[in-house]
Formats: sequence, structure tokens, C-alpha cells
Amino acid sequence: MTQPSPVRRRVDPRAERAARTILTGQRPRLLPQPVAVAVNGRRRDPRALRAAALVQIQPRPRYDWARDAASAGATAAVGIGVAATPAIPLQVIAEPAYLILAMLDRPGGEVSEHDRQVIAAARLLADAGGGAVVTVSTGSGDALAEAGSDRHVALPDGWADDYVPERRAAAASALMAALSPRHILFPDSPDGGDVARRVAAAAGERLFAGVQSLGPDRATRQSAGGSLEAGHRPTRLMTVAVDAFPPLDGVRHEARPLDLAAPVMAGEELPPRLGGARRLAVDPDALSLSETDFILSAGNGVTDWQSFAELGEALGATRAGSRVVCDAGHLPRERQVGASGMVVSARCYLAFGIAGAPQHLQGITGVRHVIAVNTDLHAEMIKRADLSIVADAQAVMPALIRLIRERRHA
Amino acid sequence: MLDVAVLLSIGRHPVSGRARRAATDAQALEMALALRPRRLTAIHAGPPTDGEALRAYLGMGLERLTHLVLSEGADPVEPLIAHLRQFDPSLVLTGRQAEDGEGSGMLPYLIARGLDAAVVPDVVRIGPADAPNSIPGAADLVQALPRGQRRALTATGRFVATIHPSAPPARASAYGPARRGVIEPVAAQATADLFLSDCEHRPWRPKPKLMRVKRGGSALDRLKAATESKSGKGQLLVNPTAEAGALAIYDSLVEQGMLP
Ligand SMILES: Cc1cc2nc3c(=O)[nH]c(=O)nc-3n(C[C@H](O)[C@H](O)[C@H](O)COP(=O)(O)OP(=O)(O)OC[C@H]3O[C@@H](n4cnc5c(N)ncnc54)[C@H](O)[C@@H]3O)c2cc1C
Ligand SMILES: Nc1ncnc2c1ncn2[C@@H]1O[C@H](COP(=O)(O)O)[C@@H](O)[C@H]1O
Repeated sequence: MTQPSPVRRRVDPRAERAARTILTGQRPRLLPQPVAVAVNGRRRDPRALRAAALVQIQPRPRYDWARDAASAGATAAVGIGVAATPAIPLQVIAEPAYLILAMLDRPGGEVSEHDRQVIAAARLLADAGGGAVVTVSTGSGDALAEAGSDRHVALPDGWADDYVPERRAAAASALMAALSPRHILFPDSPDGGDVARRVAAAAGERLFAGVQSLGPDRATRQSAGGSLEAGHRPTRLMTVAVDAFPPLDGVRHEARPLDLAAPVMAGEELPPRLGGARRLAVDPDALSLSETDFILSAGNGVTDWQSFAELGEALGATRAGSRVVCDAGHLPRERQVGASGMVVSARCYLAFGIAGAPQHLQGITGVRHVIAVNTDLHAEMIKRADLSIVADAQAVMPALIRLIRERRHA
Repeated sequence: MLDVAVLLSIGRHPVSGRARRAATDAQALEMALALRPRRLTAIHAGPPTDGEALRAYLGMGLERLTHLVLSEGADPVEPLIAHLRQFDPSLVLTGRQAEDGEGSGMLPYLIARGLDAAVVPDVVRIGPADAPNSIPGAADLVQALPRGQRRALTATGRFVATIHPSAPPARASAYGPARRGVIEPVAAQATADLFLSDCEHRPWRPKPKLMRVKRGGSALDRLKAATESKSGKGQLLVNPTAEAGALAIYDSLVEQGMLP
């Protein structure tokens, strides 16, 4: 490999041209190849010097200016080579000094953001003294390795779908007795917080609810309606407030199934006093926009309001609109999405005839899946969307209604 | 038909700090009044200075209210259980989390353990949801879930229900009934709450909001991830027939789990 010399020759275009000129015939002619000309040895090439001093590129560039230029090539190549394979080292805690239990929600089988934050909080306690984080949830632990789980206890699969909080609390109490963990953390979510309070009441222990900051010798929470901060040594049972801890990133732990001496799922003994749980159908238009999961939205490109209403009903989606639509009175003001309306966090946003003004897009930053229908290929909404259809909204809406009705009856 | 007890705590206005009726406790009282029980017991446990704020509950149409008088900093759980045992209610309604004091939301669970009752959190309706085939001896309840969803369930035997903020709103408190209502003070013995006095308290200072920034990559990548909503690398259909467009939307919605 030829390394560029740190000293570059000085270019003298006139001298080069003179060297290439052949004076034969009537007019001067130029040779196609440049001929070597005199070099000005004093000129420095800062780019080449910098490249030679570069030791490492990832995670940020580092330079070693004291090195001699001759050995530069080899080391620089190594630095780049390492950067190309960013493998996260596996962290193994073979002999944990103590255990921290993280009881996760996993709503619908997915590891939620709040679950990751609970594991991050548990790591704060575990890493302070060589402890291990044991996650407890339904489903396998594979998805939890990157979140920071060392060991995993899988609850029976059937528990994911039915709501029997007493059974979960019994399982947590049994694990608490079997593993004697130093701390047990729960998410402070409606379900997780409920189970945590059941466990605390059954064990007769104090629950430190809604932890906002955590260290090995101090935990804090909001009390007195949020006006005071209460600090205490971490208690055995704690719930972790939402968005208090950043989820871990760039770590890899084992999440190995924990072998328990005896099965601890003894929750079946006493018949649960709560039962027959089932989801109720809710009227989507009665939900506020910030609460709903599925929004059907109309912009100035919609003129067929009859179809729009029918489509909302057929999809079971909450109807909303851009400011132009609400100003014109087609929808009430509280159905306006955007900077001066509602900021929504729905999972799915189906937009008909919306141009995608910045004020509108600000309202849908939190939306996961956007579908846009617009006649203008260059609309901002089309760029934002995960599925974009360049077509007339007045034609697509009735076609979609027909399709949904067909599939429902089939 | 029922014997209902409501536990009422003193709320605190989030800005002015003035004592008032606690929001979800007032909703619990509203629900208790709407159930038209055979006997309704409303109980508050706290220091004698709480009396004036309790009148806001009386103004909702409650005739009398029991005030278990405790010393400052005492744990209200034991006296409340002892008092509730005398009445033996089949249903105890409470708020979700107190607006003052520790506010850990543990009290309903401790009461339920003391009375050997079930706990149902986040209730928005008591009574048959839509199904008439209810089991005798069981109560039909509707619970509020995140994202505006609702869940119906049944509870057998005695239970403690905590009320969710999206339950029916509490009626306004009227001045006349608030003055006419009777607060019955009952002296009670309680131990001091040692855990609470062990905590150090200081004014809450808002923390910076947690941002979900992507780590790694170049500064430009991180800036983009933090400021841009999403780079559009989606699927694009240009001028399909209406049917083809509708089918693409339909498939995408099914994939997202929005349609069955
Ligand atoms: C201070 C301020 C605050 C604002 N706040 C908000 C806010 O909170 N929310 C908000 O939405 N706006 C807000 N706006 C207004 C915003 O700037 C835009 O004017 C508005 O969002 C545009 O709405 P639109 O996309 O529905 O209409 P238009 O901009 O008129 O766009 C209509 C779109 O429909 C398409 N179209 C036309 N015909 C059809 C058809 N037959 N089929 C399919 N597509 C068709 C067009 O190609 C076009 O892209 C605010 C503005 C200001 C100044
Ligand atoms: N001192 C009290 N007297 C009566 N009820 C109370 C008292 N403290 C709490 N409660 C009830 O218990 C609920 C939860 O309180 P907490 O566990 O303190 O967050 C409140 O909403 C009230 O309904």
C-alpha cells in the first residue's frame, strides 16, 4: 500500500504546461500525460498529516500527533478494522452477590418502554455490588438480553391474556420467598402497580411507590401530591415511575433461564375473587384524541363527509382533522390534530387529503404508523407516511368501506 | 341493598396548596351516592384540624360523616380497619391515591387485607355493564385501562374498589348542606408512622424530561433522530386504482393489528 507522503509537491501550472508543450509544426501541441516537474519540498499537506495521525475512528476520532509517519498506516488500518465490527460484549454475572427482581408487565407480549426502564433501574442496584437482575414475565427472556436482564423466570404462557392480578401477586410472593432477592422492582403502571401493592400488603412490607431516582443507598419519590420529594434508603419493594430512568442501550446480558429448585407458581390454591374479565367495546368517537390508538383524519382534500363518517364507523377509528377542516366546522375543535390542537400518540394514523404542514406534523410526532392518501405526490404528508397512496380521497374512501364490509361478511 | 363505606381523605390544591376535597375521593362519594345504598358510612381519619375541609364532602348531599380523630403523623390504617369492622360493609370505595401525605395508594390494599376483602383497582362503574346474566353474590364492575379502554369483570364477596379519574364526575358542593351536615368526631388510638418520619422531605424540583435519543452514529444522525419526526422511507403507490389503494390500506391496517 502506498501511503501518500505528508509532503505534497507544489503545483506550478505554468511550469507543467511548459513541460508538456511540444513545438513541432505550425502550432504548439500539448502532450496528454503530465511530466514530472520541480517539487517544492516545503509545502505541507495537512490532510495527509491528519490521516496519518488518526489512531481510531469509533466512537470518536482520536489523533496521536507524536507518532512518526512511517508506522502510521498499519495502526490506522487496525483502528478502522475494529470500528467495522461493533460487537457488544456479553456481560456475564456467574456468581451474583445478591438478586434484584424486576417484575415486568409485557402488555400484549411486547417488552414495553416502561419495562426497559424498570430493568435499567434494577441494573443501578445490581451493578453497585455485583448483583444480578432477574426479570419475571410471561414469554421467553430472549428479548430482554439487550435490555439488561441476567436471569429470566418465565411465567406460564396462558397468563398473558387473562386478567388475574391475585395470581400474579401470589407468584411474586412465592418468588420473593424462594429467591430472597434484595429488592423487587415493579413498573408503576396500572397493572404493575396493582400487583406491587398486593404483594406489599400480603408481605406486610412498606412499598416505596413511584421511584424517581435510585442509588444503592438512596431512593426518592414524589409525595404530597407531587409537591415534596421524599428520600429514603431503598426498601425491599419499590415501583418505578414512568420515564424516570433512561432504558439501557448498547449492553448485552445473558437473560438465561433461572433454574428454580421447585416450581413457584403456586397461585392456583385459593380461588381468585376477581373473574370473568373481558374487554368492552368502546365508542371510538367518545375517546379523547390523546387517548385513542387509531385515528382517521381528514384534511382540506376531503369533500365527501358522508363517506368519511361511514369509514370511521367501519374502521372503528376515532375521527380527527386538520385545522382547515375544524375551522370550516366539519369537525368540532377538540378533534383538531396539530400544534394548536391535540398532540396525539396513536399507534396508527390514517390521513386523507392532508398536506402535512409543519404545524400538523408536530401533532403526530409520536405516531408509530402513518398512512397517507393525497393527490399530490410531493406533499409533506406523503414523505412522512409509512404507506403513501397518491390517489383521490373521494374514490379511495368508498372503495375501502366496500372492502371492509365485504371482508366482514365473508 | 348494599352497605357501602367511603373513605375520604383531605386533598390539596396542586398550585395554591389549600385544603380541599380530594378529586377521586369525591368521585368515590359520588358513586356511593348514586348506588343508593341501604346504609352509607363516610369515614375520614386524621388530625382534628381537618374538620373544615371535610365540609366540602357534606355539601355533596352527605348527611353525616365520621371523623376518626388522630394525632398528627399517626398511621390511619389500624383505626380505619377497626372502625370498618363494626359496620361490616359489603363494599368499600376509596380514591386512587391521596393528594396529601405519603400518597402511595397502599391504603385500600391494607384495608382490604384487614377486612379480608378483594381489591379492584381503577373502577369506573359498579353495576351490570351490558350482560344481564350476572352470578348471584357477585358484583359487576367496569375498570378503566390505559388508552381509554374498558374492562368488565365480576368480584365475589366483599370488596374494596378504588375509583379512577374517568369515573363519573363528582357533583358540585353546595354551601347550605355543607353547613347543615354533621361531622361526628370519634376518638381513636393509632401508632405513629415511623417510616414516614424516617424519610427526608424537601420541596420537589422538576427534573429534566427524559428524551429518547439514539446513541452512537454521527452528530448529524443524532440530531436528526432527535428533531425529525421520521424519515419517510415508506411504501409509495402512485395513481393506483381506488380498489388497489384500498386493498393496500386494508392490508397495512391488518398488519398493524387495527383490523381483525
Ligand atoms: C399558528 C398556526 C397554528 C396552526 N396549527 C395547526 C394545527 O394545530 N393543526 C393543523 O392541522 N394545522 C394548523 N395550522 C395550519 C397549517 O399551517 C395548515 O394550514 C393546515 O394544516 C393545512 O391543512 P390541510 O392539509 O388539511 O389543507 P391544505 O393545505 O389545503 O392541503 C390539502 C391537501 O389535500 C390534497 N388534496 C386535494 N384534493 C384531494 C383529493 N381529492 N384527494 C386527496 N387529496 C387531495 C392536496 O394535494 C393537499 O395536499 C396552523 C397554522 C398556524 C399559522
Ligand atoms: N386519613 C384517611 N382517611 C380516610 N381515607 C383515607 C385516608 N388516607 C387515605 N385514604 C383513602 O385511601 C386512598 C388512597 O390513599 P393513599 O394510600 O394514602 O394514597 C385515598 O384516595 C382515600 O380514599
